[in-house]
Amino acid sequence: MNKNAEKMLPKEKLLEMYQKMVRIRNFEQAAHRLYTSGKLPGFMHLSVGQEATSVGACNALRDDDYITTTHRGHGDVLAKGVSFEAAMAELFGKSTGICKAKGGSMHIADVSKNIFGANGIVAAGIPIALGAAFSAHYRKNDRVTISFFGDGASASGPLHESMNMAMIWKLPIIFVRTNNLYAESTPQADFQGIPDIVQWAAGYGMPSYSVDGNNVLEVYETTVKAVAHARAGNGPSFLNCRTYRWYGHNIGDPGTDRPKDEIEAWKAKDPIKQYQEYLIDNKLASLSEIEAIDNQERELTEKSIERAEKAAAPALDSVFEGLYVDTVLGKKAIQGDR
Amino acid sequence: MSEREVMFREAVRDAQREEMLRDKNVFVIGEDVRDPWRGTYKATDGLSTEFGLDRVVNTPIAEESLIGLSLGAAMAGLRPVTELMYIEFSTRAMDAICLQVAKIRYMTGGQITVPLVIRTQGGGYLASGAHHGNSLEAWFCHVPGMFVATPATPYDAKGLLKTAIRMDDPVFYIEHKALYMTKQIIPEDEYLIPFGVADVKRSGTDVTIVANSRMVLLALEAAEDLQNENISVEIVDPRTLVPLDTEKILESVHKTNRLVVVNEGVERCGWAAEVVAMVQKRGFSDLDAPIERVCTRNTVLPFQPDLEKFVLPSKADIIKAVKTTMGKE
Repeated sequence: MNKNAEKMLPKEKLLEMYQKMVRIRNFEQAAHRLYTSGKLPGFMHLSVGQEATSVGACNALRDDDYITTTHRGHGDVLAKGVSFEAAMAELFGKSTGICKAKGGSMHIADVSKNIFGANGIVAAGIPIALGAAFSAHYRKNDRVTISFFGDGASASGPLHESMNMAMIWKLPIIFVRTNNLYAESTPQADFQGIPDIVQWAAGYGMPSYSVDGNNVLEVYETTVKAVAHARAGNGPSFLNCRTYRWYGHNIGDPGTDRPKDEIEAWKAKDPIKQYQEYLIDNKLASLSEIEAIDNQERELTEKSIERAEKAAAPALDSVFEGLYVDTVLGKKAIQGDR
Repeated sequence: MSEREVMFREAVRDAQREEMLRDKNVFVIGEDVRDPWRGTYKATDGLSTEFGLDRVVNTPIAEESLIGLSLGAAMAGLRPVTELMYIEFSTRAMDAICLQVAKIRYMTGGQITVPLVIRTQGGGYLASGAHHGNSLEAWFCHVPGMFVATPATPYDAKGLLKTAIRMDDPVFYIEHKALYMTKQIIPEDEYLIPFGVADVKRSGTDVTIVANSRMVLLALEAAEDLQNENISVEIVDPRTLVPLDTEKILESVHKTNRLVVVNEGVERCGWAAEVVAMVQKRGFSDLDAPIERVCTRNTVLPFQPDLEKFVLPSKADIIKAVKTTMGKE
């Protein structure tokens, strides 16, 4: 674990990072349990194991900074501050969901937290993040944007277009690749011609870092550097955060196409357990403080699920709501035979 | 009220200029939009010189990121006017346009506002071939979440574009490459044209023609010829395809009892089919004859000018269709 980050952070921040990681883990494991017991509809991609990357990166941001993320975005949006309860209600498809049950797991967004959305299309969030960064450049303010993306997006066009464009205008964007070794089912060596894609990013001319994505303090400290670089008007940076997703691509995929010893080895590097031990070993937190956080988060999870289960389903006549800002023109546009 | 003659492309430029002067959040972005190139069809002439390169942003040829960037900027409160050089290049940005720009507000429960105008141009008659000469408006009408405009005249082009830039919903705004040099006398004073309001480009009593974009001009020529044969044609230009002014179309059909729909898109599953379906459902009892469609033949657009002409709608095709509805063919 990283001594510098510890020096930079007051104790409450160190504990807050722990709390957020636990919150994400609880959310994902609850989603898994609820989904497999038939309580949640749709598709579900879980990020268990990747918590340190989400939290370390988002913790280096201000509230007015932007993020975009992916179909596997629960962790990132929770780390940036989306309401646990509203996100859980969205998974349930309830009217109280953060997107009023119109988006579901893959489209969680919260404009009030400058979360410009998870995204169902691999790599689609990257140019959107580029645009958010462009807005800061255009307005000459110092807001920064993180674009989270995964292995699959790394080999696709939008990332490369966007890295180039970010360099042309020195946009305040940080490309954070949650490097979990697989693009859906395909292992990295089969879709990536070089061992570590920081070389690609460096080739575009931006600072690029290969990071232990299971070490929350290392992710945090590296992101702080990238944020400072961006706020100072020096342009984009790239972080390749090496981590792992414990579950399969989506719920329903047992994930057993991956080597068993590989899965076990990564589980042994559990980012939360590592960080908890670090906090206790270095006397940065007591066991009772850790337990208090664990209990608080457990209660939040239980209460949120209970409320989501009790919440009203969306009214059927809400299907046209939120389509257009201009509801007069919108009413004309939705006119049809049914 | 003073007036002056402008070309279509100048009307488009002037609309952008006036809105940029009015609102500092409005900016132009696209491939080759800056001076001295000033856009492939010169519709951004002078803007980068007047407003600087921070507000007239020249991008690499990377359509997906161009549209994605515009979307992100719009979500953050800016009002991009994004030039997509050819409508065919939308295929390089279909995800960004159809899945992101159009859907993101809805998918996020109405949280996100996308005040974005995507300006592009399409259409044939210039031997520009199968990658540069298509009318693809139907593709975008098919996607809920956007409005679609297809102006036919400099007056409409300016008024609709100014409205589009002020709207808080995404607008797909399609110019026609064979219209840029057409001229019209338009007011010097500011005016706006609302979306969803059709314009009767010619009044008549015998047959209604619904036409959009350059097909309005072709229909006007056909109507002149038909007048010599004592056939009176009414031409309704919806101006915006989404939302569509169904009432004005039905009102006209109620008067004439005959309808021809002219659209430059390929006939099969094209925009004309939508108008036909709407009128047969809501105006069935007004119809004295089957509705005729004049569209592009169901093939790939050929390059050679005579072949292209054969495939695209012609004045003769429109005249024939009008006469067919009158039992005179």
